[in-house]
Amino acid sequence: MSDPSRGPLTEINQQVETAFTAALERIHVGRGVGRMALLLVVTFIFFAILRPGIFLSQVNLQNIGLVAPEIGLLSLAVMIAMLTGGIDLSVVAIANGTAITVSTLYTSVLNSQGQGAADSMTPLILLAGVAVGVALGAINGVLVSVVGITPILATLGTWQLYNGLALVWTGGITVSGAPSGLMSMGSAAVLGIPVLLIILIVAAVALGVLINRTAIGRKIALQGANPVASKFSGISARSTLMMTYATSGLLSAVAGLIFLSRSSSASADYGSSYVLLVIVIVVLGGTNPNGGFATVLGVILAALTLQVLSSGFTAMRLSAYQYAIAQGVILVGVMVLDQMRFKTRKRRPGTNSEEQGAIAEAETK
Amino acid sequence: MKMVAQPVLEVHNVVKTYGGVHALKKVSISLIPGEVHCLAGENGSGKSTLIKIISGVEKPDSGTITIGGKERSQLTPNEAIRSGVQVIYQDFSLFPNLTAAENIAMLSELADGRKLSSRKRIYADADQIVTELGLKIDLGADVGSLSVADRQLVAICRALVGEAKVLIMDEPTTALTHTEIDRLFTIVRRLQERGVAVMFVSHKLDEVLQISQHLTILRNGELVETGPSSDYTRRSIAKAMTGREVSEDRLLEPLDANAPLLLEVKNLTRSGDFTNIDLSLRRGEILGITGLLGSGRSEIAEAIFGIRPAESGEVIVAGQAHKIGSIRDAVKAGIGYVPEDRLTQGLFLDISIADNMVASSLDSYRTRFGLLDRVRIRKSIADLFKRLRIQAPNVTAFVRSLSGGNAQRVVLAKWLDRQPSILVLNGPTVGVDIGSKEEILAILREQAAAGMGIIIISDDIPELVSSCHRVLIVHEGRIASELVGDDIHTDEISKRLAA
Amino acid sequence: MKTALGRLRGANNEGLLVAVIVVVVVAMSIASPAFLTPGTFFALVRSSMVPLVFALGVMLIMISGGIDVSFPAIAIFAAYTTMRWSIDGNLDLGLVLVFVIAMVVGGLLGLFNGVVIARFRLPTLIVTLGTQTIYKGILLTYIGSLYISAGELPKSVTKLSDAHLWDVPGGGYLHSMVIPVVLVTVLIAWMLRWTVFGRSIYAIGGDEEAARRVGIRVVRTQVWLYTLVGALAAFGGMVFVILGKNANPQSIVGTELDIIAAVVLGGASIFGGRGSVVGTVLGVVLVQLINNNLVLVGIPSTWQRAAVGMLLLLGVTAQALGHVRSRKRPVIVKKEVEA
Repeated sequence: MSDPSRGPLTEINQQVETAFTAALERIHVGRGVGRMALLLVVTFIFFAILRPGIFLSQVNLQNIGLVAPEIGLLSLAVMIAMLTGGIDLSVVAIANGTAITVSTLYTSVLNSQGQGAADSMTPLILLAGVAVGVALGAINGVLVSVVGITPILATLGTWQLYNGLALVWTGGITVSGAPSGLMSMGSAAVLGIPVLLIILIVAAVALGVLINRTAIGRKIALQGANPVASKFSGISARSTLMMTYATSGLLSAVAGLIFLSRSSSASADYGSSYVLLVIVIVVLGGTNPNGGFATVLGVILAALTLQVLSSGFTAMRLSAYQYAIAQGVILVGVMVLDQMRFKTRKRRPGTNSEEQGAIAEAETK
Repeated sequence: MKMVAQPVLEVHNVVKTYGGVHALKKVSISLIPGEVHCLAGENGSGKSTLIKIISGVEKPDSGTITIGGKERSQLTPNEAIRSGVQVIYQDFSLFPNLTAAENIAMLSELADGRKLSSRKRIYADADQIVTELGLKIDLGADVGSLSVADRQLVAICRALVGEAKVLIMDEPTTALTHTEIDRLFTIVRRLQERGVAVMFVSHKLDEVLQISQHLTILRNGELVETGPSSDYTRRSIAKAMTGREVSEDRLLEPLDANAPLLLEVKNLTRSGDFTNIDLSLRRGEILGITGLLGSGRSEIAEAIFGIRPAESGEVIVAGQAHKIGSIRDAVKAGIGYVPEDRLTQGLFLDISIADNMVASSLDSYRTRFGLLDRVRIRKSIADLFKRLRIQAPNVTAFVRSLSGGNAQRVVLAKWLDRQPSILVLNGPTVGVDIGSKEEILAILREQAAAGMGIIIISDDIPELVSSCHRVLIVHEGRIASELVGDDIHTDEISKRLAA
Repeated sequence: MKTALGRLRGANNEGLLVAVIVVVVVAMSIASPAFLTPGTFFALVRSSMVPLVFALGVMLIMISGGIDVSFPAIAIFAAYTTMRWSIDGNLDLGLVLVFVIAMVVGGLLGLFNGVVIARFRLPTLIVTLGTQTIYKGILLTYIGSLYISAGELPKSVTKLSDAHLWDVPGGGYLHSMVIPVVLVTVLIAWMLRWTVFGRSIYAIGGDEEAARRVGIRVVRTQVWLYTLVGALAAFGGMVFVILGKNANPQSIVGTELDIIAAVVLGGASIFGGRGSVVGTVLGVVLVQLINNNLVLVGIPSTWQRAAVGMLLLLGVTAQALGHVRSRKRPVIVKKEVEA
């Protein structure tokens, strides 16, 4: 037989190691999804073991399902902006804008024309709110694609501007009043799954289809991967960027509706801590901050993971500040790990060492 | 009898492999002070690797480097710089946001280990070297605003302020005009007088012969020939570089005289670039446009494709006039473009071959519901992959991993999928291995035979001879002459270019 | 070739900024007679001090090609921690030591930023977003979240809080902290222009790869830079505590946008390689001018945030449009046509 020094134990050890390395390879190579799925499961189990009583309770699990959607939608909004190599810092402000619009419209119709009118006009009001969100996103698009401002600065400015205008409009106070239909949706569930979560899933699927299966979606990814080659291939930077930021606005608007449905009130400063959280989620979910690569599934899993983490922290009586520390550590840690992998991978022949691009392992679906 | 001076730098039997691929197989080279030594070879021959080893950026797997009398097995970049080795890269590595003076003096400021920086001293140092070389550069200007030729001069000055003993210039004439090349050569001769050993890396055979005293030719990582330049001709160098006799055959069928006009360009003008350009292209015709760098030949192509639109004149495609004000206009008019700078402009490096191939034609795969027809896409991609004989494990491989020749085929595939009526190619076989080169030209001839109109901008004369029905020679922004059919051959083209 | 007008405009459009400031001042004076008083001027100076220190740090990072949003967290971390330690330890360490300790703490936090960013070549905005939360979180969880009032602060600190350099009759005063702030500003300007370290920062911002090739120790320079900026932020944090005569761990974080807006308005390019102390000072002045005096002109203070956002967008738009117009196409080919 084989080498006498290789006992059965060594064999098993070898097999386990091969399997483990293969599993690890698969997790790392499938940038985003594999890693995220594993992380989600591990985090869940971790807290389930530590505090099964609180963590596994119905309330807690339902809570995850309720808070995740708004954050998930905002993450998707930032994801598509990052896909083009940009970023959208104004997503929360846009969401609040929609929420405030809907709330204000509803309350004014309610006060002037009564409950009946308000209820029947609800669809129109919701539409108006979403339209506002899309318009705000379109403004971002114009600034980036027509005026030519770099996305960080453009959305930094619009974040301030939209937030400021919302402050002026609301006078700094919380406005209350939301369509009853919206509110009931906020607490409804179908087969035990919160409606809000279903909305997130639908939005995620739609976005996934957009990015992978439509011409404009592919163009958006190409635009992010290499804007110059994209231009030379006849792709219009203007249309792709406009579409990107308008979509981001749309997703943020839906998130805004969800804000409203959960708390039946809207304020200009709601969710101000979300901006960092959303970026953590997007990066954790495997999105390349330099553009060209993103996966919807990765981002959704990352959003869920962070919600699990958040509720786990709460279950363990850790403070919000400690959760914040965790977010920061995860963000920096993930990027460092990604970079380390990238470096070892760079030692390949034919690699032009002048290309300082980040990895973008596009998956042909 | 000529005294052979002591070499200032000697590389002995260096070997370098990258993950199983031999970039250099036991290559040796000696650089002698005051001598211009040319390193010739095609892309992938190992030239860049050798430079990186000499400048300390890469470490050889085996072999030695002797410099400053000391023999070592490897160098660090700082050691190389301190020993007097300076490399001027193709992109010059300058700081566009700093002044010319600062760029020039920076190297020595750093080498001296200074902590304080004095504007006066910087200007004085820069001025000194500029005057010594007899140059005129606006020292106070930001380098970003200087012309490419001036930037190169700044790079050269910078290398010299650092007391360079060995100056390596990597493809220095790529972006220079005729006059600027002459000026560069004058400076190189001055450097020789100062005792600097100059290593000139180039694949431009005429220049190689003009400026160098000694020649080393690499092919596939091996040293195939070395000797005094006077022993060589263009043909013998080309043969050594490529390993085969360069063909002078014309491989075309004559064009049907009744073929309809695909493209008519009338009075195209862009001030500073070209004036009153008239040209025409018939169905199935391959038109070559050549001229010295700076003649405007690339600019004409860029105007037709909308990259730098013309200011006046008409572009008529298949009988219809089009206003080409942007790349989108050109693409919509049915024009495609394979760019010179394939890595930045032509390809998405970190994306699969498959996705690259359909990048221009996505809209044509839309189904009724707005989604992409994936079955049809897969079929097209497989078809192109086979037809163009792309060497890659499969269509999901990233383009970054492909060789020059294969990468160029992917760019070609992208346009073929779109089926433009006119395809413009700028330097289609630059940086492409000889096998791919022939295949690419064969593919172009096939497409022409199938009815596509093709324009090739090139300074590769054998390519023009083998594959063009007509050749236009551009001189100082105007069409100077035209060669048709059998009149197209190497000597005639060279003659007209030099005129 | 620098024309007279070009030189007036300045390398980063500083002249333009001065013009804008003048226009704003004139407009505000017309709108409200209460505006053009010494009181307004001194209030402007006082409110600009802390933002200026922070803006200088942001500017330095921007010149090197990055963006730092963690500086407010570093600032309050360093200042609060130092105060907390001296209070809990019952030691009045004296002003100099207090500043030194704070700046060391800030420097260490900056060092962490620098190591992570330089060693792993990570995108600076996202990394500093992460470290900002980490620092703030650590501060509030492990050091303390209690507000420190004037009464609790060490005497040496409060004495400085009350030290006015000059009390102007009829309202307004010049705080003595103005001296250190001005000194720091001048020092940084000097460093940028007269030291190799400073020029290296510009070089790295201009072309990082070229900097490596030319022999600049890029990683080392960047690490030192972030450490320096961390110490600078800590200095700003101490000035904040002194001027406010309290230490609130929840403060400062949230003001990043105003500072970044000021730096960008001051002409620093977000792509790196450009920026000046003069421009930054002017940018800070402009933002503070608007922030302080909207009310005077009749615009309610709720408009402040929107106004700064608008200002940022206008400034950046102007930069983007000017960039397009003046961007010289890389002249690949010499124009030899006019033969």
